[in-house]
Amino acid sequence: MTYAIVRPIRLDLDSYARATGLHPQAVRRLVTLGLLEPTRNARGELCFAPSQVATAARIQRLHEGLSINYAAIGVVIDLLDRIEELEAALRGLSRR
Amino acid sequence: MAPRRDYYEVLGVGRNADADEIQRAYRKLVRAYHPDVNKDPGAEDKFKEISEAYSVLSDPETRRRYDAFGHDFRQVPPDVDPAEWARARAGAGARAGAGGQWRQARPGDFDFGEGVDLEDLLGGMFGGRGRRHWGPVPGADQEAELTLSVEEAYHGGRRTITLPGGRRLEVNIPPGVTNGQRIRLAGQGGHGSDGAPAGDLLLITRIAPHPRYRVEGRDIHASLPLAPWEAALGATVAVDTPGGEAKVKVPPGTSSGRRLRLKGRGMPNPRGAPGAFFAEVRIMVPARLTDEERRLFEQLAAVSHFDPRGRS
Repeated sequence: MTYAIVRPIRLDLDSYARATGLHPQAVRRLVTLGLLEPTRNARGELCFAPSQVATAARIQRLHEGLSINYAAIGVVIDLLDRIEELEAALRGLSRR
Repeated sequence: MAPRRDYYEVLGVGRNADADEIQRAYRKLVRAYHPDVNKDPGAEDKFKEISEAYSVLSDPETRRRYDAFGHDFRQVPPDVDPAEWARARAGAGARAGAGGQWRQARPGDFDFGEGVDLEDLLGGMFGGRGRRHWGPVPGADQEAELTLSVEEAYHGGRRTITLPGGRRLEVNIPPGVTNGQRIRLAGQGGHGSDGAPAGDLLLITRIAPHPRYRVEGRDIHASLPLAPWEAALGATVAVDTPGGEAKVKVPPGTSSGRRLRLKGRGMPNPRGAPGAFFAEVRIMVPARLTDEERRLFEQLAAVSHFDPRGRS
């Protein structure tokens, strides 16, 4: 019996660093701060979903535009995401 | 391009505001218009304008030069007397804008170099430290609301929209858009820096209230006015739907409030079955009866044993 192997596209640390324009060391730091959510492959190396490139860009814009330090950006991102969810729910309610 | 606004006006401070006041105004504005906080497509330009104004007014030296020379201060060599500059400008204006007098100075003579690019300015002002390990930054996603009439949502089609901030965009609306649906326009969001890709623009569709139709998901509700005899005896009546006129069969003995379902006459669905059209019966009576009608109704009242409030 055969199984189709569906491997989700993942970027390794170096390609991710290249895609985001970050130094790999900076990527590790953002991971340590819990701002990026990488997975680990079979060899235990960090792997990133392509959607995480946009996450890094948002972190970067918040850091540069508002001078928020990296530790605090986690809170800001969580709050922004929550507001977005609530606003979407609110739009759903006002429809009726 | 729109005329550039005065930097003091941009920050909403007086010309004699002190450094703290300028910093305070800037911090407040930048929090409100940051592209990741404010998804409005107009916010990004506002944010850039605010950042540019602050970068000039926060430095005492550039501020002094801005006060003296206005927006062109970067083109003015450092050792020019403001009064003389104003006279030369006025003269140049009279000679049909031939003000090439100051252009002869080489770019290297200036403090700032010529033609300072906004992106450079932004990159520079957000702390040079950041530049070293951050490369090009892709742009943020933006959101805008798109209000459509029921008919537009039903038929779809091309439409030119004007975004907050003044940008005009032609969008292709698929037929059968529902309330709250997101239309993603890739690459139409916030600009990326250093050639990085732009973010996406999400159009959140809102279906405007309609005098006749009420849209719920893909179903469309409308009221169906009937004469008492049509409702009692049954009839086939024409009803307007966004997709054109349809025939609805009213079964005999239909009361107000009954919903007659027209399958497939609701909003089209690009991925699946279309919604339904619900015609809700409302029995109407003539406001004024003719003598003949009155006689017939009275006759009916005398004959009928029907009691709509009867408790059985």
